[in-house]
Amino acid sequence: MIKLKERRKPDDPGDSGSLNDLSFLLIVFFIVIAGFNVNKGFLMDLPDASKPRIVQTADLLKCSISNSGEISLDGKATTIEALSASVLEMKRNNPNMTFLLTVDPDAEWQRVVDVIHEVRRLDVSNFSFKMGGGRS
Amino acid sequence: MIPMSSMSDIGFLLLIFIMLISLINQRHEVPIEYSEATRLEKTQETDNLEIWIESNGRLSVDGEIVDDSRLESIVAATLAEKPATRVHVIADRKTPYRHVNRVVRVLQALQHRTVSFVVREAL
Repeated sequence: MIKLKERRKPDDPGDSGSLNDLSFLLIVFFIVIAGFNVNKGFLMDLPDASKPRIVQTADLLKCSISNSGEISLDGKATTIEALSASVLEMKRNNPNMTFLLTVDPDAEWQRVVDVIHEVRRLDVSNFSFKMGGGRS
Repeated sequence: MIPMSSMSDIGFLLLIFIMLISLINQRHEVPIEYSEATRLEKTQETDNLEIWIESNGRLSVDGEIVDDSRLESIVAATLAEKPATRVHVIADRKTPYRHVNRVVRVLQALQHRTVSFVVREAL
């Protein structure tokens, strides 16, 4: 006797598993896409333009970025790596150190971000920045 | 066998719900080249205002191109309505600093202190 294989009925209510998988995959996709819109960066307190802070000269570390992106520390050209070393040394000697960044109006934003990143990495709490070139 | 057909209905309803929510939270993204850094913090809040700065200095807020005075009025109105709004400055990496400073000056004029400078995580 030939035994025929039982066929599933086309209207079988239990045959929708792949559809569930598909819809849940789409949900996961949208949740992931929504996560892409989260902003990350640096949270900074802008200096008060009307009330300039008084800082002792010995506690001040002056850094500047030229229009070509060159970084200078107290007037001497330096690199990001050398800047980190100088900041660490200054922090050791002057715990109340204030880092003042003066940026040329034509300097690229990425260069400013590089310096801000380094200062934040070294946990410098007193940080201020302004635009140089007499137009700030 | 437990009938599973209702599960797909629930799945699709959830899908429609999430699609609608993402439409409500629609973001007017300006095509810029993000500046990059390695160590970042999440600066997103419940209420956010994004100020976009293109490399040519063009400012835009929520898809609207604005000048400095219009920017000031938008920021002032937003902060008056929701004081806890987080202001994000999203500038192209090649933007000359003078354009970023324009936004900084507007925020300083409004006595708004805490600002998020948005950058992308370097890979």
